[in-house]
Amino acid sequence: MIPFTQYVRGLAGDDDLVRLDGPFEVPVDVLAAEALRASGPALRFQRPTGIDLVSGVFSGPDQTQHREARPWSRLALGLGLEPDATLVDLLETISTLGPTGGNPEPTYAGQAASGTDIDVQDLQLPQGETDMWPAVTLGVASVSTADGTHWAPVHGSVVGGDTLRVRVPDALSSLVADGTTMTIALGVPPAAITTAYLLAVTEQTTTPIQSCGVTGTVPLVPTNGGLVPSATEVVIETTVVDRQPDFRSDRREGWEYVVASGPLSLSVESVRATDTPVIPISPVGRPLADDIQLTGLATAATLYHRVNNYWGISPVEWVMLPAEAELGICFVASDVLYGGFEWQLANILFSFSSLFDTVVIVDEDVPPQDFGRVLADVWLKSHPARDWTFSEPDAPAATRPHYRTDNETGSRLYVNAAWDPRWKETYIAPRVTFQNSFPGNVRDVARALWDESDTGPEDTTESGASR
Amino acid sequence: MAVNSLREYLDLLDTTGWLRSFDQPVSWDLEASAATMLANIRDGPVPVFESIAGIETESKLVGDPYRGPQTRPWDHFAQALGFPSGLSGCTYYDRVIARLNRTKAPRTVASHRAPCKETVRTGTEVDLLSFPWPYIHEGDGGRYSNHHTIVAPDPDTEWGTWSSHRMMIHDSSQASLLLLAGEQVPNRYYYDYEPRGEPMPVAVVIGAEPTVESTADMWIPTGRSEAAFAGGLKNAPVDLVQCETNDLYVPATAELVLEGHVRPDDRLDEGPFGDYFGYMNGPRRSMPVFEVDAITHRHEPRLPFCVEGSGVGYGQNSTSTLRLVAAGPDATVGLRAAGFDVAMAVPWRFTSRTVWVIATDRPYPGYLHELANFIFTTWGMLHIDFFVFVDAAVDPLDPRAVLTAIALEADPDADFHQFGVERMPKVPLNIYQTPDEKGSADVGTSKAKTAKAYIDATTDGDATDTTATAETRKRAQERLVEAGLDAARFDRLDEREGKSQ
Repeated sequence: MIPFTQYVRGLAGDDDLVRLDGPFEVPVDVLAAEALRASGPALRFQRPTGIDLVSGVFSGPDQTQHREARPWSRLALGLGLEPDATLVDLLETISTLGPTGGNPEPTYAGQAASGTDIDVQDLQLPQGETDMWPAVTLGVASVSTADGTHWAPVHGSVVGGDTLRVRVPDALSSLVADGTTMTIALGVPPAAITTAYLLAVTEQTTTPIQSCGVTGTVPLVPTNGGLVPSATEVVIETTVVDRQPDFRSDRREGWEYVVASGPLSLSVESVRATDTPVIPISPVGRPLADDIQLTGLATAATLYHRVNNYWGISPVEWVMLPAEAELGICFVASDVLYGGFEWQLANILFSFSSLFDTVVIVDEDVPPQDFGRVLADVWLKSHPARDWTFSEPDAPAATRPHYRTDNETGSRLYVNAAWDPRWKETYIAPRVTFQNSFPGNVRDVARALWDESDTGPEDTTESGASR
Repeated sequence: MAVNSLREYLDLLDTTGWLRSFDQPVSWDLEASAATMLANIRDGPVPVFESIAGIETESKLVGDPYRGPQTRPWDHFAQALGFPSGLSGCTYYDRVIARLNRTKAPRTVASHRAPCKETVRTGTEVDLLSFPWPYIHEGDGGRYSNHHTIVAPDPDTEWGTWSSHRMMIHDSSQASLLLLAGEQVPNRYYYDYEPRGEPMPVAVVIGAEPTVESTADMWIPTGRSEAAFAGGLKNAPVDLVQCETNDLYVPATAELVLEGHVRPDDRLDEGPFGDYFGYMNGPRRSMPVFEVDAITHRHEPRLPFCVEGSGVGYGQNSTSTLRLVAAGPDATVGLRAAGFDVAMAVPWRFTSRTVWVIATDRPYPGYLHELANFIFTTWGMLHIDFFVFVDAAVDPLDPRAVLTAIALEADPDADFHQFGVERMPKVPLNIYQTPDEKGSADVGTSKAKTAKAYIDATTDGDATDTTATAETRKRAQERLVEAGLDAARFDRLDEREGKSQ
C-alpha cells in the first residue's frame, strides 16, 4: 500500500509533478484544468498555510498524441505497479481491490491525521470562478453499519465552518439516518479511493470493505464514521443533519453519471490533519479531470472482468472508456470469435453499463497504448454502410452524453472495426509497419543509420514518442 | 518571405535541426524507405540520402520532407511560407486562408533561367532507370515515384491542371499511373483523350517548391488554376517554364521533370502498394501507361518520396501533413466560396484522407445535409467516407475535443446519417471491400458501390465549457508556462488574429 504523500513524492521524483508557489491570482481549479487539458504534469499548489493541494494525480496525458506516459500511468504507480504496467495489469489490479468473496484480514495502524486545531474552511479548498462555495472533490465517505464499514466517493461543498453539503451514492444514503456519523477522508492512498470508485460503479457500495481486497492491503483506523485508511491526510468527522437538503451542483464527478446519487447536509464535528497535509483535487467538469479518469478505469476494470468471465473463455484483450471521450464511448479489443460475435459483445457491454450507447470494436492485436491506431481503424476498417450498426430506437439513453436527457428512447450503435472472421485470409490487407514492410537486414540498416546519428529519433517503440 | 524551392526548404529545415544528411551509401531498395519510416513514426529529423548504393547517380533521395512534428504538424510548412514560429493551429489556418483568398498569377521564365533545365535529355538519352526510384515497401508491385505534381492539359486554364497520382516505374521510358476516374486528370484521360484515341500530354514534376507541392492535393474549382493558388499561398508568383516536348508549363525551380504522354488504349500493371490508409492495397491492376519523352533536371536533383502508410495513427508523413496544412485551409476557402459559413475544415489527423472534421454553425434546418451533400458530390466523393460536424467553437485540430463532441453530442438515434447506401462510387484504395467487390473496372473505381456517412456532433445549445472565462484560462496558461510547462502545449497564448476564440 502506498500512502498518498509517498505517492505524491514519487510523482515529483519522476518529474511528473510541478510545484506552484502561492499566492494564486488565478483560481486553482482553472490552473489544474489547464494543466490537464495540455496533458501536463500533476501540480502541487504550495501554500503558506502548510496545507497543500495537488491536482492531476489520478489523471494523465491524453492519448491523442503518442507519449511515453499513459493516462493510467500515475494511478498504476499509486497501486504499486511498475512504470511500464499495461492497461490490463492495472484493470486486473483494480478488480482485486473489490469484493473478494472472503474476508481478508485487516491491518490496523495509528491515525496519521492527528492535528485538530483547524476547521473545514481552513483547508481552503478550491473555489471556481462560478462556484458559490469551495469544492470537496476526490473524497471518500465512510460509514459504519452492523455489516461493517462502507466506502463511497463523495463530492460537495464547504458551505460554512461547520457545514458540508455533499452528494453520495444513493446506496450509501440508504445506510444513514439523521444523526448518523459519517467520516470524509481526503488524501487517502490511491488504492482506497480507487476502491470507493469501484464499489460505486459496480453498485456494491453496500458491500462492507471488510469483504474487499483493499482491506488486505490498506492499513485502517477506526473513526466515528467508520474505518478509514490510517494514512489519510485529512479526516473530517461529521454527523448527518439533513438527508434531503436543497442542494444541487452544476458539475458532477464522474461516478455520478454511473449511479444515482443524492444530497446530504453534514455537520462537521472535527477536522484532523497531518502536520503538512496534502489534499487531492479534481477540476470537476473539465476535460481529463481526475474523477473522470478514476470512473473510466474502475468501469473498464469491471467490464473487462465481466466480459471475460461470461462465455467460458476470455476473448477480450482490453476495454477502455477513455477520458478523451468523456466516458461516452466504450472501446474494446477482442478476438471476434465468429460472425455475429461482435453483436453479442457490443450488446453485453450495453447491458453491463449505462454510461455509453456507442461501442467500438477493434481487432485483438491493437494495443491499448496505440490509441492513434484505434482512432484510425475506427474509420478505415469499418464499412460505412455495413459495419455501423444501429439498434431499434427503443433503448434508454445513456447517462453520460448530453442528448436525450428527457428519458426519450433511441438507438444504440456499435462500430465493427475488426476483420470479419468469415473473410478469407487473402482478403486481410497486411498493415504497413516497420516490422511488416522491411526484412530484418533492412531494418537493421535503418536502425544503425539513426543510431550512429547524433540527431536521430530516439529508439523507443515503433510508434515513437512525441518530442 | 516564402521559400522558392525544395532546396531552400531543406536548408530551412537544416537550420532548425530538423534535417539529417546521410553521407554513407544507402540503397533505394527498401533501405531509404525503412530509415524514413523510422523517422516518421519516431518524430525524428527529415532524412536526406546523399549517396545511393547500387547505382551511379548524382541524385539524392529525400524521405518525406514535408512531414511536420507530431505535436504541431503545421510548424515546418508555416516556416516555409515565411510565417513566424509558434503559431497556434487556428492562427496558422487563418493566415493560410487569407493567402489563398489572394491568388497570384504565375509568371513565365525563359528556359535558360529555369533551374529545372540545367540538364535536358531527350530521345535516346531518356532513361528513367538512371534515377534511384525507391522501392518503398516489401510487397509493392515495383519502384515508385509518389511525391510529385502531375501537370496535365486543361482547356479552361492557361497553366493546365495539377494533381498527384502515384506512378510505378516499368522500364527506361514507361511507367503506369494510378488514374482513378472521378478526379479531374483521370476524367480528362478516360472521357476525353482516350475516346478520341489521342495521347494526353503530361509532365511529372518531382521536387517542386513547397507551395506547388501542396496544391496537388487541393480541390481547385474548374476554371481556376492551381498555379495561381500556389502563388497566393506563397504571396509571390510561381515561376513556370515551358516543357521541351509539349505545350505544358512546369514549375521552374523543380528538381526533376518527366515530360511525356499517357497513351490511349494501353495499360500496364500497377500495384499493389502500401498506401495512405496504412495497409497494403491490392490486387495488382491495369492502369494507363505514361511514356516519357524528355527528362530535365537540376544538377544533383533531390528526389522526394513518401513512405505512404506511415502517416496514419500517431505517425505523420508528407502527404498526411500536406493535407492538414494545405488541403484543410483550401477546403475551408472552398466551402465558404460555396456559401457555407464554416469556421474550419480539417482532415482527421489519424487517417487524413478518410475522415474530415468541419467546425460550423447550423444557420438553418437541413444545413448539415446540404453541406454533406455538396462535399460528397465534389471533392469528397471518392476517398472520404466520413464527415464529422462540430460546433464552430470546437477546435477541429484538437482530436480530444472532437472525440468528446462525438461521444457527448452525436446521438446514434438522430445524428448519424448514411448517404447513398450502397449507391456511391468508391476508389479501390480501401480495405473494407473484398477483392471481389473492388473488381477491376476499366476506369479505376471499385466495382461495388458503397456508402458515405456524416456525423452531427454539434450541440443543440451552448455546451461549451463556461466554468472559466477565456481571459482566466489565458492567465492560467501563462502561469503554468512560468512554472516551466511548455508553451507550445497551450492554445490561448497565441491570440487568433481578428477573432475572439
